[in-house]
Amino acid sequence: MEQLAATIAYGLYLALIVAGGLAAVRCRNLVRALIGLIMTLFGVAGMYFLMAAPFLALMQILIYVGAVSVLIFFAIMLTRTSGGEAGNENPQRRTGLREVLAVASGLLPAVILAAIVVGQAPQALPLKPEVPLAGLGQFLTGPYVLAFELISVVLVVAMAGAVLLGFERRKGQ
Amino acid sequence: MNPLVLFHLAALLLLGLGLYGITSRRSLVGMLIAVELMLNGAGLAMVASARLTPAADELGQLGALLVMGLAAAEATLVLAIILVVAKRWGTSDSATISSLRG
Repeated sequence: MEQLAATIAYGLYLALIVAGGLAAVRCRNLVRALIGLIMTLFGVAGMYFLMAAPFLALMQILIYVGAVSVLIFFAIMLTRTSGGEAGNENPQRRTGLREVLAVASGLLPAVILAAIVVGQAPQALPLKPEVPLAGLGQFLTGPYVLAFELISVVLVVAMAGAVLLGFERRKGQ
Repeated sequence: MNPLVLFHLAALLLLGLGLYGITSRRSLVGMLIAVELMLNGAGLAMVASARLTPAADELGQLGALLVMGLAAAEATLVLAIILVVAKRWGTSDSATISSLRG
């Protein structure tokens, strides 16, 4: 029974990921592509829930859906492509050969890696008990402390760089 | 099928979609969306590997969390770069800005 429910949930999340991902890469309108990306992000969060990692699923919704997608929306609204209106991609030069090459470049690495994954997969263990949040925090301040500190530095540098790039330099100053 | 393989195949699907998107998209914002897809696939694969094999659980989960932080930093920087490009060339089309003409 539990197995069946897990399979159904997996199928549901996979459908979300596939539909959202296709919308994200195919839609000419970038706002629709962003909605597709958000759908995919929710699907991935569902998969984290399915693997009994609820903290990560909530972080996925908080960071990706809450912050990153808003940033991308700003990028869409603050730029305009040569088609004229903001959010629409230039429809020219979508030739057949280009599409075929793009599909090949996406499919080839994925299929090679999929063949390796299917061929070499180790026996999956039954799902381990959920890691308590305190355990994650202790790991973050223990073995991962350098990465933890470095990511703060990276975030500060990225934000400062973004502010510097977006800074308007006035003439004569 | 093995659940580990199933989760890895979902992650590979995201990788393939992202690679297709980054090569077929004409605008920088579309490419950014495709990169986010690929980063999500990476996180999913890491968590699946940590949860369903004897590896330490925290390793994969915190690794995926760090990937999320890096994705946020990268999105901020790319937003600023796109704004600068759009200000200078008037468009965020990848074909326009690849020309060397003044």
